[in-house]
Amino acid sequence: MNPRIRRLGIAFVVLYVLLFVQLNRVQFFGAERLQEDVNNTRGLIREFGRPRGPIVTADGVVLARSVPYDGSVDFVRQYPEGDLYAHIVGYQSLNVAATGLERVYNDELAGTPIGQQLVSLGDLFADRDTTAMLRLSIRHDVQTAARDALGDRRGSVVALDPRTGELVAMWTYPSFDPNRLADPDGSAANAAFSELLSDPNNPLLAKAYREIFFPGSTFKLVTAAAGIESGLIDATAPVFAAGEAYDPIPSGLPIRNFGGSTCGGDLVEILRVSCNTAFAEMGAEWVGPAGMVDAAESFGFNTVPGIDLPSPATSRFPVEFGKRLADVDFYRGVDEARDSTRPNGSVSIHEDSARLAQTAIGQNDVAATPLQMALVAAAIANGGVVMTPHVVVELVAADGSRYETIESEISRIAMRTSTANTLAEAMRVVASEGTARNLFVEGLDIGGKTGTAQLGTDPPNSHAWIVGFAGRAGEDPSLAFAVIVEAQEGASEQTGGRVAAPIARAVIEVFFGVS
Amino acid sequence: MTAAGSSAQGVKTDLRNVVHPRRVEAGLLLMVGATVAAAYGMASFGASETIPADVGPFLFWMFGLGLVVHVAVRRWAPAADPVLVPVALLLNGLGYVVITRLDGGLAALQSTWTAVGVGGLVATLVVLPRVRMLESYRYLLGLAGLGLLVLPLVPGLGREINGARIWASVGPVNFQPGEFAKLALAAFFAAYLVDSRELLRTRLELRDLAPIGVAWTGSLGVMILERDLGSSLLFFTLFVVVLWVASERWIVLGVGGGLFVAGAVVSWQLFDHVQARVDSWIDPFADPKGDGFQIVEASFALADGGLTGTGLGQGEPGRIPFVETDFIFAAIGEELGLAGSSAVLMAFLILVGSGLRIAIRTSRIFDKLFALGLTTLIGVQAFVIIGGVLRVVPLTGITLPFVSYGGSSLVANYVLLALLIKLSHEQRSAEAM
Repeated sequence: MNPRIRRLGIAFVVLYVLLFVQLNRVQFFGAERLQEDVNNTRGLIREFGRPRGPIVTADGVVLARSVPYDGSVDFVRQYPEGDLYAHIVGYQSLNVAATGLERVYNDELAGTPIGQQLVSLGDLFADRDTTAMLRLSIRHDVQTAARDALGDRRGSVVALDPRTGELVAMWTYPSFDPNRLADPDGSAANAAFSELLSDPNNPLLAKAYREIFFPGSTFKLVTAAAGIESGLIDATAPVFAAGEAYDPIPSGLPIRNFGGSTCGGDLVEILRVSCNTAFAEMGAEWVGPAGMVDAAESFGFNTVPGIDLPSPATSRFPVEFGKRLADVDFYRGVDEARDSTRPNGSVSIHEDSARLAQTAIGQNDVAATPLQMALVAAAIANGGVVMTPHVVVELVAADGSRYETIESEISRIAMRTSTANTLAEAMRVVASEGTARNLFVEGLDIGGKTGTAQLGTDPPNSHAWIVGFAGRAGEDPSLAFAVIVEAQEGASEQTGGRVAAPIARAVIEVFFGVS
Repeated sequence: MTAAGSSAQGVKTDLRNVVHPRRVEAGLLLMVGATVAAAYGMASFGASETIPADVGPFLFWMFGLGLVVHVAVRRWAPAADPVLVPVALLLNGLGYVVITRLDGGLAALQSTWTAVGVGGLVATLVVLPRVRMLESYRYLLGLAGLGLLVLPLVPGLGREINGARIWASVGPVNFQPGEFAKLALAAFFAAYLVDSRELLRTRLELRDLAPIGVAWTGSLGVMILERDLGSSLLFFTLFVVVLWVASERWIVLGVGGGLFVAGAVVSWQLFDHVQARVDSWIDPFADPKGDGFQIVEASFALADGGLTGTGLGQGEPGRIPFVETDFIFAAIGEELGLAGSSAVLMAFLILVGSGLRIAIRTSRIFDKLFALGLTTLIGVQAFVIIGGVLRVVPLTGITLPFVSYGGSSLVANYVLLALLIKLSHEQRSAEAM
């Protein structure tokens, strides 16, 4: 009998090893998958069982805080400013997945990173509040001004310091009240969420950095940068011939100026009046596909932007323009002004050069977030250097000491400093005597560029844009901005200056404390 | 010790060998006591950041019970294997700490039951001078086993709690007679097979198996009526294992396996609750808020525990239904991590190893088969419930011996432990002679 009992012993060992193996699978190898299972609310319950750090603006206004709650959880999140910061702060909810800073800085707000738990050796023995407060670069007065100036028109306002990338205001209308989603009552939160989801204006979407639009004439800044970088164009030469329409090569519909007007001139002049025909020619016949793609991508198009908020949209510039056909001279005849400065001969025309001409004025397949267009203006204002945009500037402990300061970082070099300076000068002219005159504020150094992106609808609708920068006279510009008002009636080049510029001016006035 | 000295001092040497295991046991018990006391303090500290106010009485109570067991074993089974008592008390202590942390009211009851269990252990040691005495009462034990099993079905006496009619009420006390029936039936199987095993080794005929077959089918039938799947499985395995070892015939395992499959299929077709159990074994995530809820929540708890656990008192084991009884293993895994849950597995394996060692070393057939049966009961019961929690086998509600909350289970297991201790003592003293 003993051999049988020994075998039974072996059988028991095998069975218990089986348990041990499965135990390892559940508790170790598969633990992460189980913890991330959609049915697993343990993490959430834990999170809501303790307070979380607040989120405050640069000027100390509380945007999010934890308040004790008597119910299924111990704490709930409160957003005292309602919809004003919903697209930045986001929400933390028991029922809906978190977004915004609540999501990106979840661990820091909850106090779980080891760096916050062990600031000093004494923390090993003491129970200290390890949560972090997020201090933002957003200024409450500027954010409020942006909201009030835009009013109930759909659109976005983005304003940042071009020297650091710190965002000063970022507002999109329509927005939503995050308190409704943070409601610990599951059915109320879910009802609010479905209602917001089904709203055709999609208030949940932070369009300022998560939606792309035709940039219209504001994109001419990029085309101009490409032109200057190509070495063929500077502020005063060449002088583009005055024309009413641009006939693209090899073939295509003519591109006309707004209102059928005639325009032309040097770079400063064509920017001042936002001359479609001249920029279409510049893009297609002076710069060419490679130079345009290169310039757009140098500004950040076709790359996921680095911002400390979740799911930013990538701005888009087409990269395929078909087969190379022949040199421009083959179609247009020899142009001394163009070819004398180009050592390697003239630009080639491609199958889709007509499309390239349209992209050069911000139509066709070009699409940009308001944030991206603000970064174009910021690059020009900052000598060609794009700083990584961000809203969080520091993480502060409950006792006021600092866990971390977010350093400003260079995101990319968009162009040479000289190019940026030439463009900045031109933008100052646009703001003082061109389409962006409505930006003007006495005593400030201001540059701008308007845009009116036609949507091809009937009756005609268009996005009204303004981008630009502002600074105190004699100092480097300290503010860059982009404003879009979506789907405005009409389609004249005046639309951007008339509709969007006053909003930007209101923001500038509050930012600099002048009126 | 030299060979020359051994004959002259034989008696004295043997005595020393006999006394020694108790010193080992005392040392192990002190370590167990320190571990459980530390766990008790930590559990309270983890939950409320205070040292429990009743830590004094707790320590007194715990060390007192440990001392009673130790002294009783020293007095009535001095040669017994020294690891049995410490391992059982460690499991009991750990279970008690987790129950305290889950539900203070249950903990008070559990401490009472622990005392009763220790009383049962001492009483068994005292009342039963020789375990083999049970052999003569084989049919009485068989009938008693069946009678205990039927008790919950008796109108007015039986009670159904949580869908299983396995309870009997006498006055204010509810208990599960089945927990004691398994001891009686294990003794009956062992005793009956002592006589018939010679016969069975040469020919395996139903006629020779009739009494044991009646006992077996009767007990299974009753337990199926009581919807007590876990116990059915336990009894079935006990019967097959003991018969297999006694007859030394592989065909027993074959037929047993076949019967098991047939029984499983039939009960799957007959009972909705069996189907639900199987479904949530195959994929608990198919119905994570319904039938699969318990297993899904247990998996989440174990996953939260990770390698080292959340710490006693700092997890959320209360989210699992029946966490104090069937699912206490998940609570241990959550708060003590893989380290703690593996330790529990290890403890049961040590108990099984010690039990089987007794079965192998003892020369009397009854002792051998009885030790084997008792060990199988504890080893299979722990496997079935831990495997159910871990989704290795379909879940069948049954207690984790010594750990789970439950008076009947605890007392019966202490009696089982006393029987093993006694068998161990008898085997070792016989060896030392």
